[in-house]
Amino acid sequence: MIESILSLTFLAQVLRMFTPYYLGASAANFSERGGVINIAIEGFMIISAFSYAFFTITFGNPFVSLLLTIIVSLLFSLLYALLTIKLKINQIVTGVGFNLLMAGTAKFLIMFFYQSSSNTPNFQPLPGLPFISDIPVIGKAAGDYIIVFGFILIFISQFVLFRTRFGLRLRSVGENPEAAETLGVGVRVYKLYGVLVCGVLSSLGGIWLASNQGSFSDGMIAGRGYIAIAAMIIGKWKPVNIFFACLMFAFFEGLEITLQITGSFLPSQIVQMLPYVITVLVLIGFIGKTRPPAADGVPY
Amino acid sequence: MSRKLKANILSISLSLLTTIILTSLLLIIIGKNPITIYGTLISEVFGTGYGLGQALFKATPLIICGLGLALCFQASLFNIGAEGQLNIGAFVMSFVAYNLDDYLGIMVIPVAIAAGFVMSALWGLIPAFLKIKRGVSEVITTIMMNFIALALVNYLLIEFIAVKSTVRTERILDTVFIPKLSDISSVFQGSSANMTFFFAILLAVFMYFIFYKTRYGYEIRSVGLNPTASRYLGVKTNRIILWSFLIGAGITSLVGVNFIFGYKGYYELGFSNNIGFTAIAVTLLAKNNPIGIIFTAFLFGVLDYGGLAVNTLVPKEIMLVFQALVILSILAVDKVVKIYYLKED
Repeated sequence: MIESILSLTFLAQVLRMFTPYYLGASAANFSERGGVINIAIEGFMIISAFSYAFFTITFGNPFVSLLLTIIVSLLFSLLYALLTIKLKINQIVTGVGFNLLMAGTAKFLIMFFYQSSSNTPNFQPLPGLPFISDIPVIGKAAGDYIIVFGFILIFISQFVLFRTRFGLRLRSVGENPEAAETLGVGVRVYKLYGVLVCGVLSSLGGIWLASNQGSFSDGMIAGRGYIAIAAMIIGKWKPVNIFFACLMFAFFEGLEITLQITGSFLPSQIVQMLPYVITVLVLIGFIGKTRPPAADGVPY
Repeated sequence: MSRKLKANILSISLSLLTTIILTSLLLIIIGKNPITIYGTLISEVFGTGYGLGQALFKATPLIICGLGLALCFQASLFNIGAEGQLNIGAFVMSFVAYNLDDYLGIMVIPVAIAAGFVMSALWGLIPAFLKIKRGVSEVITTIMMNFIALALVNYLLIEFIAVKSTVRTERILDTVFIPKLSDISSVFQGSSANMTFFFAILLAVFMYFIFYKTRYGYEIRSVGLNPTASRYLGVKTNRIILWSFLIGAGITSLVGVNFIFGYKGYYELGFSNNIGFTAIAVTLLAKNNPIGIIFTAFLFGVLDYGGLAVNTLVPKEIMLVFQALVILSILAVDKVVKIYYLKED
């Protein structure tokens, strides 16, 4: 078993699994830094994965489909912003509603378009970066546009949040909106920006999952949107810490897959449970105190 | 009629209307006639005793789970973890039931119910504890506990307990089933509706009484509205939060009664079919009012069975979209009514 974990194949597996978690967690982070909780990351991933599959099957061009999918996700984000920012409706409840809406819509549409209760037909995945994709074993992971973007995103998030005026204002809106407004920051506009960035990033997570599988199937997101939120909390709303949290969750998922293949003393359900148990332990306080942005979830 | 009550009625009817309009638009876009579909739905559900029975059968677990959630929501505890809590409880309920039915006979029902209730309540203890002691939002913990619960039940069931090559527990004896409604009136012939429905109604009335006519209910609601003020008024806030969470989580386990004692006789993986989440919508739509929950759960039951009834015309999954639109439009319409009719905010 140790040999199978210490292999390049396993590393590539972890790199791949890391991507949707990090995209989802960064998405949630941008939203929460602006003070808007979005527990519908799961739903955004579902609807994006479905839309991407639908557009690719219908139009064929993966990059056009990617663009169209992001637009779909942005439209849902605007609706989310309308309800939570403009109408100030409770964000948790809205998130629950969005999850039901997006999961339900995807289920309905696969049945309607493809007469299947479970999945769409297969399609060609996103092509990889030239040259790098041809490297054996890790090429498929290292040459994937979205995976590469996922890694660059660590630096982008860190830079944008902590080294730009936009980041400073976004954080000020999430920490103390009254003070931000006094200083002339358009609080609601920045909240909207946070929600929109969240929509784009979570959409990429869903797109990657669909492209990686080469189809959309019901239940394929499998709680990754929630794990992403957990990773954000464990990562204490900091891009670099979130990176390590996602890496840990990706490691467990890779382990679970490896264990299913090789068989072991640890049952796969127990491994499946570990990320969530760890999150609860973190919340209990074994890994120091976590502190969300002060005005997180408070409508303004 | 008070202005507040008028506003409630206004917002509930407006949001249903919004949902019907939105769903109709969706149906028209995909080239279906909404009137035919709503017509078939209504005649299939209300035109036959079987259809009505099935709608009641689908509504029963939603009423029960909704009541458990209402207790949490009244105290402003966003329990998203009902799905996990009720699965743990129902699993234990069936385990106790099939192991002891030989010895206890009909008395196994209360014993199994008590065991399930306690297990679900204990499952709610962790988020409640974190909320009180650490100030951790119950939303995130209950979501995590959902995944842990489902994986744990899955593990225990498949590794140790399930009947060979199935994902269910052993069946209880025929003698310890709860009577079906069709045993009483032949109108409901063939439907799975059982006496658990009446039990759910009684529970709703009881909860209504507790919420609005007792000191406990008053304290729960005051903690929900303003915990700080309640504390200064001498309400033991933490105690209220703890017990609301535990009992609320416990009540969700009773969902298992409908399925185990009223229908199949065993616990099966996936039996809950997201009741824990749908019940959130049911409860919100009823504004946490136990009597209201009976009606909103019935509406969802009608949609649930109605989806099957119209499946030949349009995929039944349309009802999932309908249900989600109901919850979003009640949220939005409610706010709009508050702003423009009650002049709040």
